[in-house]
Amino acid sequence: MRVQALFTLSARSVGRNMRRSILTAAAMALGLALLMFSRALADGGHEQWIESAVRLGTGHVAIQAPGYLETGRLEHRLDAGAVDRIEEVLASHGPELPVEAWAPRLTVNGLASSAASALPIRIEGVDPAGERTFSTLVDQLAEGRYLEPGDRLQAFVGTELARRLQLEPGDRMVITAQTAAGEVEGQLVRIAGTFHTGIQEMDEGLIHIPLATARSWLGAPGDLTTVAVLLDSSFDTEAAVAALARSLDGDRGIRVLGWRQASPEMDSAVRIDDYGDYIFHIILFAIIALAILNSVLMAVLGRRREFGILQALGLTGGETGLVVFGEGLFLTFASGLVGMGVGFALTWIFFRDGLDFSGFMENGMTASGGIIDPVIIPVFRFGQVVLSLASILIIGTLASLYPAYRASQLDVAEAMKFEQ
Amino acid sequence: MNDATTSVQAVRTEDVWKIYPQEPKPVEAVRGLDLEVDTGDFVAMAGPSGSGKTTVLNLLGGLTRPTRGRIWIGGQDTTAMSGRELARLRLEHIGFVFQAYNLLPVLTALENAEFTLLLRGMEPEERHRRVRHLFAEMGLEGLEDRRPGKLSGGQQQRVAVARAVVGEPALVLADEPTANLDSATSAALLDIMDHLNQEHGVTFVFSTHDPRVMERARRLIRLVDGRIENDERKNGSRGTP
Repeated sequence: MRVQALFTLSARSVGRNMRRSILTAAAMALGLALLMFSRALADGGHEQWIESAVRLGTGHVAIQAPGYLETGRLEHRLDAGAVDRIEEVLASHGPELPVEAWAPRLTVNGLASSAASALPIRIEGVDPAGERTFSTLVDQLAEGRYLEPGDRLQAFVGTELARRLQLEPGDRMVITAQTAAGEVEGQLVRIAGTFHTGIQEMDEGLIHIPLATARSWLGAPGDLTTVAVLLDSSFDTEAAVAALARSLDGDRGIRVLGWRQASPEMDSAVRIDDYGDYIFHIILFAIIALAILNSVLMAVLGRRREFGILQALGLTGGETGLVVFGEGLFLTFASGLVGMGVGFALTWIFFRDGLDFSGFMENGMTASGGIIDPVIIPVFRFGQVVLSLASILIIGTLASLYPAYRASQLDVAEAMKFEQ
Repeated sequence: MNDATTSVQAVRTEDVWKIYPQEPKPVEAVRGLDLEVDTGDFVAMAGPSGSGKTTVLNLLGGLTRPTRGRIWIGGQDTTAMSGRELARLRLEHIGFVFQAYNLLPVLTALENAEFTLLLRGMEPEERHRRVRHLFAEMGLEGLEDRRPGKLSGGQQQRVAVARAVVGEPALVLADEPTANLDSATSAALLDIMDHLNQEHGVTFVFSTHDPRVMERARRLIRLVDGRIENDERKNGSRGTP
C-alpha cells in the first residue's frame, strides 16, 4: 500500500507538468523510433548485401572437406560417400533447417587460355538447373546465355575475362587445372555466355562449367569441393550450422561453415558497418539519457520543497528517492512504448517497399564480394526490437538514478525553505 | 525528569543547541533550549525574525538534528534515532502545518488529508471515514475531489490542518499557520485548532508573529536570539528561565 502511494505520486507527477513530460517523452520516443528505423535499415541493408554475396559465393552455409577453405586444393574434397550423406540430410531436413536452395560445386583454380592470352581463373563445376535457383550470377548475364542442363563443353565466363582473352560467346578456349590424380590437364570449352557483376575478381577470374564435365575432366566422379546452402535468412545461419553439424556428426570428412567463416572478408565488412551503427546508437542513447536526466533532475531541483514536505509527513529519504525514480521510470516506459509504436509505424508506412538510395550510389556498386542493391528494405528482427526497447529502458532507468539519489539526500529543513 | 513524568509530556528538551557552521562565525540558532510541553497543551512561540522559532519546530519535528542536547517526543528520545526511525516518528506521532500550506499538488484534498494514513497502511474505508468526518467538522465538505490549485488559501490551510491531525498525532507543529490568511480566515482556522485541542486533546505548538494566535494560545513562549526569554500561561506565568 505504501509503495502504491509512492507510485501514485510518481505517476501523477509525470502528468502534472504535462508540457515537460510530453517534450521529454517526445525526445525519447523519437530517439527510439530513429533507433529502430536505423537498426531495421542496417539489418535490411546487411541482409541484402549478405544475400547477394552468399548467392554469388558459397551460400549462407558451406559444407566442405576439412582443409579446403585454407588450401582451395582438390585433394581436400568431399568424396562421393560424403556427398550422398550431405544430400540425404539436406533432402530430409526439418523446420529447424530453413533451407531455401542448395547447390553442388566442384571448384579448382586453374588457367584460361586463348590465342591472345592466358589468365589465372577459378573454375566452378556447377549443376546448371540448381544454380538457376541459387546463384544471382545467372541474372548478371551480359551476352549469350547461361548453362543449360545437358550442356557438356559450354562455359559461362566474366566479361573482363572474355575481353582480356579477346573472346566472345561461341568462341573456344582451353582451361587447365591439376586433376585429382595430380596431373595437369586441359579441357576445351566453348563460351555460352558472359556475365558482368561489377566485382572485378569475379568478372575477370570466374567461369562456370557443367558439373559433369568438371568431374569427368578432373577425375573426381561423384565428388564435390563444396555444397553451398542458401537459407531463408542470414539470421538463421548459426542455428543451421549447428543443426547440420549435429546431423553430420561423426563424419570427420565433413566440415560445416557459416558464411562468416567461409567469407571472412564479408564478415569483417559487416562488422565494421555494424560498429559504425553502434557508435551512432551510443550517441543517440547519450542524447536520450541526457534528455531524461535533464527533465527528471530539473523536476527534482524545482520541487525540493515538495520532497521536504513528503519527508516531513513521514517518508524516508529512500522513499522520496523512490518517488523520483518512479517518475523517471513512468516517463521512460511510456516514451519507450510510444517510441516503439512510432518506429514500427513510420518504418512500415513509409519504407515497407524499401528506401531507394539509387540517387546516392552508382549502379552496380559492390563491396566484399556482394552487389549492393540501392533499394534497401528494412528488416525488423524481434531480438533487435527487444534489444532497442530494453536499451532505452535501461538508459532511462540509469538516468533516473542520479535525480533519485539527489532527492533522497535532501536536507529536509533546508528544502522546506525553498520557494517553489 | 523520570520516565513517569516523561510519559505524560508531549515534548521535552534538555539543553538543546543548534549551531550552523558558517564563516566567519558559526550561527547559534538555538541556545540551550529547555522546554516541556504537556499533552493537550496549546502553545504559541513568538519572537522576532531570526529568534529561532522555525528551527525549534524543525528540531522538535526531527527535521533537523540538534548540535547538542536531547529531545523527547511522547517520551521517546529522538536524539539517537536513525533517519528511518525519525521518519516513522513523524508519520505516527507528529503532524505538521506550514505557513505556505504545502499540500501535495498532484493529490486531491481528500488524498492529501489521508496521505499519512495511507502511508501507515490503513484500509481505504477507514481512511475515508476519518477524513470525511474531519472535513465535516472543518467545513470542507464537497471539496474532497479538488486539487490544491482549485482551493482558496483558507481552504488549503484547513486541509493541511486536517492532514496534520487526522492520524491523531501526539503533537502538531504549526509554523506560522495564519501568516498567509486574512483575519476572518485566520480566526476560523484558530477556532478549528482550538476545537481539536479542546475536544480531541491534540497538542499544538505554533510559531507565530500573529497577535491573534498569541491571544488564543493558552501558553506563550517568547524566544529571543535562540533562547526562551519568557514562558507564560494564561492562568499565570511559569517564570523566566
